[in-house]
Amino acid sequence: MNAGLEGLRKVLDEHVVGHEEVKQALLLGLACREHIYLEGPPGSAKTRMAEVVARSSSLSFFFYQLHRDTRLAELLGDVVLERRPLAEGEGERIHQRIEPGGILTAEICVLDDISRAPGEALNVLLRILNERKFGADSIPLLSAIATSNPMRDEYYNEPLDPANLDRFALQLRVPGLIQSGAKEEARALVSRFAAGTVVEQPELRAVASRRTFDDLYATLRRVQVPSEVKEGLLEILQVLVVEYGCNETNSLLTDRSFLVKAVKLLQGRAALAGRERVELADLDVLRWMTTFRVAEEVHEKVPELIARVVGSAGARPARDS
Amino acid sequence: MTEKAISALAAALDRALVGQEDAKTGVLLALLAREHAYLEGPPGVGKSRLAEAGVHAASGSPIQLALHRDTRLQDLVGPVQLRREPYGEGQRLRHQTLPGPLLGAELVLLDDLDRAPAQALGPLLRILGERCWQGQALPLESVIATGGPERIDAYADPLEPGSLDRFAIQVRMPGLLYAQRWDCARVLLEGRVELSPGPVIDLCTRRRLQEQARRLPMPRSVQRAYVDLVLRLQRFAAGGMPLSDRTFGRAALRVLRAHALLRGASRVERTDLRALRYMLGRRLPDLTRDQFEELLAEAGRPAAPWLGPSAAAAGAAWGAAGAAGAEPIRARAGRVRSWELQPGARAPGMDEAQVERVLRALEGRFERGYAGLEEDPGGSPRSYRTLRGLDEVFDADPVELIGYLDGTRPGLPRSFRRERRRAGGQVALLRDVSASMEGRLGRWAGRVVAGLVRAGARRRMRIGYVEFNHDARRFHAGGRFFHRRYTSLLELAASSRAAGRTSYQAPLQVALNEFRARAGRNRHIVLLTDGVPVLGDPEVRRERTLARRLGVQVHTVFLGLGEHPPVLDAIARETGGLCFVGQPRPGGGLRVLGLGEGT
Repeated sequence: MNAGLEGLRKVLDEHVVGHEEVKQALLLGLACREHIYLEGPPGSAKTRMAEVVARSSSLSFFFYQLHRDTRLAELLGDVVLERRPLAEGEGERIHQRIEPGGILTAEICVLDDISRAPGEALNVLLRILNERKFGADSIPLLSAIATSNPMRDEYYNEPLDPANLDRFALQLRVPGLIQSGAKEEARALVSRFAAGTVVEQPELRAVASRRTFDDLYATLRRVQVPSEVKEGLLEILQVLVVEYGCNETNSLLTDRSFLVKAVKLLQGRAALAGRERVELADLDVLRWMTTFRVAEEVHEKVPELIARVVGSAGARPARDS
Repeated sequence: MTEKAISALAAALDRALVGQEDAKTGVLLALLAREHAYLEGPPGVGKSRLAEAGVHAASGSPIQLALHRDTRLQDLVGPVQLRREPYGEGQRLRHQTLPGPLLGAELVLLDDLDRAPAQALGPLLRILGERCWQGQALPLESVIATGGPERIDAYADPLEPGSLDRFAIQVRMPGLLYAQRWDCARVLLEGRVELSPGPVIDLCTRRRLQEQARRLPMPRSVQRAYVDLVLRLQRFAAGGMPLSDRTFGRAALRVLRAHALLRGASRVERTDLRALRYMLGRRLPDLTRDQFEELLAEAGRPAAPWLGPSAAAAGAAWGAAGAAGAEPIRARAGRVRSWELQPGARAPGMDEAQVERVLRALEGRFERGYAGLEEDPGGSPRSYRTLRGLDEVFDADPVELIGYLDGTRPGLPRSFRRERRRAGGQVALLRDVSASMEGRLGRWAGRVVAGLVRAGARRRMRIGYVEFNHDARRFHAGGRFFHRRYTSLLELAASSRAAGRTSYQAPLQVALNEFRARAGRNRHIVLLTDGVPVLGDPEVRRERTLARRLGVQVHTVFLGLGEHPPVLDAIARETGGLCFVGQPRPGGGLRVLGLGEGT
């Protein structure tokens, strides 16, 4: 792994116990410039992880806690009312515009409790997250990390609009350590607190610079994707649509995510492992892409499906260049 | 030369996007015919990309706007100019909108058309239709807009067919994966897609092509076939409005000519009528390609009696049920599912009116004492009201705000009234699936369920679904009985089984226990049945008491020719619900009787 990212990983481990998958996914998302969505119960270190990873790089950072009254100005910057005198005659020209701030000027941003904002407040994010453009201007955003509580009656929240959800290429469930019965990790957590070495508000130092990410991104785009991997990806998608009956109404298998972004994420997996070539096993990344895009029961079968496809493709003689 | 320019354009689109042939043709037709296009599809199919590629290839430097909840009219048309003029002793303030980017543009891309608030959208669509602003003609050629598929739980008000009528071209884009276009998916995976193909024809060529298209002759025979085809489409729509006169008389002809030009023909021929298909994406979403071809084949043939596949359905909607012994529901059976899942699709429905009657009455109940919209600072701007506090300043009308601050305006400025659909209320749908609920009755019940799910979705109610015969089966989603996963409910409504005997007690017990476990108001049960209870307490006394105590309104819908069990009336009466009886009629119709309130 690239030195900067290794540093990031170390900082993450220093601050958060366990959650191996989430940590990997966060680094992958940053490396690939994709957005990440984390969903888990309160107190499962979602926000902590997002914040640590964001603050440990010297990227400009924006943190926003969404709430039900979230207004446009809070996400994008101040609304400015401009009054310019007319060139001739008496009077003025009035123009309302947004002075870019918030998401528009950040390289990395954390949108905490994203599902607490009403769905309509978020639809301004669609194009911003996707094309990293506001109006005609490009914005410097690399990755957005969103967190949310599970959709339950007790919480005031509502599911993300599918179009918004699709903007987050990587989607993970973050279970609490106790909830998921991770005994070892729970022990580690207790011993850490018992030792009194935990700093509640740690000073984070930057271990990765923009340069780190730029270099990594350039490298990963050069990673080769052999055709057996592409065929494997297609096969998995085919099974999801044909066998498991995924369709427009019950899932979100979009062309953009699974035919364009998936390839980039595969390359990212390989690059983070220091390889120049994607391997079949990297298809595992699909687990993180399907979490909330297919029905829960289908998602449970995805690891098995990946293993099956990887196994059968591995057995075939390679017909790759 | 024309041919070369056109194939260059088509090739540019092919380089930018894999597959989606219909949408590509649609975009080309719009550009050549100087008409507006609306591309509809799920996220990530390449709608915006295609629109952009088309416009760039045609040498346009488009104005691109992404619409969202807070889009204002000023963002679209331009800033306001306030001019002070002496007026007698005092001063007169004149305000005037300066033409902004949209008003000076030839080609415009509008992303997420379906997300803009009505205040911005209304005037915008008017501008698109009239191509003039405050009496001045605009240089506008084409607007290419994109939008997501209509969803029952969307927060924005759905686009009305009337607003969409401004878009002559309307194409729906299905995802490659769901359409199972694996060949295209493979190409896309290869990554051989150009990011933004530059212009392939220059401005002069574009103008020349448009001019050429405009002049292509359209022979009499084609005109006749065209009118005939449109009438047939109208009949297929059975009461819907596929083509308005405006579209039919003006825009469609331009599109037909553009189609002929695309083919490289020197005049409009019969085959160019196929261009109409690119106009029907939202106007007639149910029409399949084969059905269109069938209608086209018949168009203009003299004396051919109307015997299309949907003849029965069309006839039925005119009240001629029973015609020729056909069973209209059967004719539609293949399409029922898609109708059920597309709220916007006005399919020619035989019992539509009857189902609607039941639904309207029940919907009224869902709403009683209960506003659908609620003021909420995070909601969508829906109308104006007076500013109430300083925190609303950003939502205030800028001109009026300045007037107020300067002291030239006596009243407070107006600000947006932001509203959201209020979440709340619960309804349990109890659907009889006993052996007798087969075929027609079962489908009818499915449609009532689907209709109720949509009605509930509009109010963001939580819905629970139970299928019962002698036993009651609850359907959970995400571990809960009452939930908001409306699409999965619609799927349940569309599928059904039929087995076993009937009990009223089992389902009511199950549903009431669910209500008992949680607080809330605006609580309803809708019991859909076609049988007499043969198991459990036929009078359901305990359940009636419980329902009263919990404040749950129980509505009953009885289907079938048999005697309608008086207990259904009693349940409804005691709980303040409604009671319906639906009787099948010869020929497949269904009539709602005994429509009334249990009083």
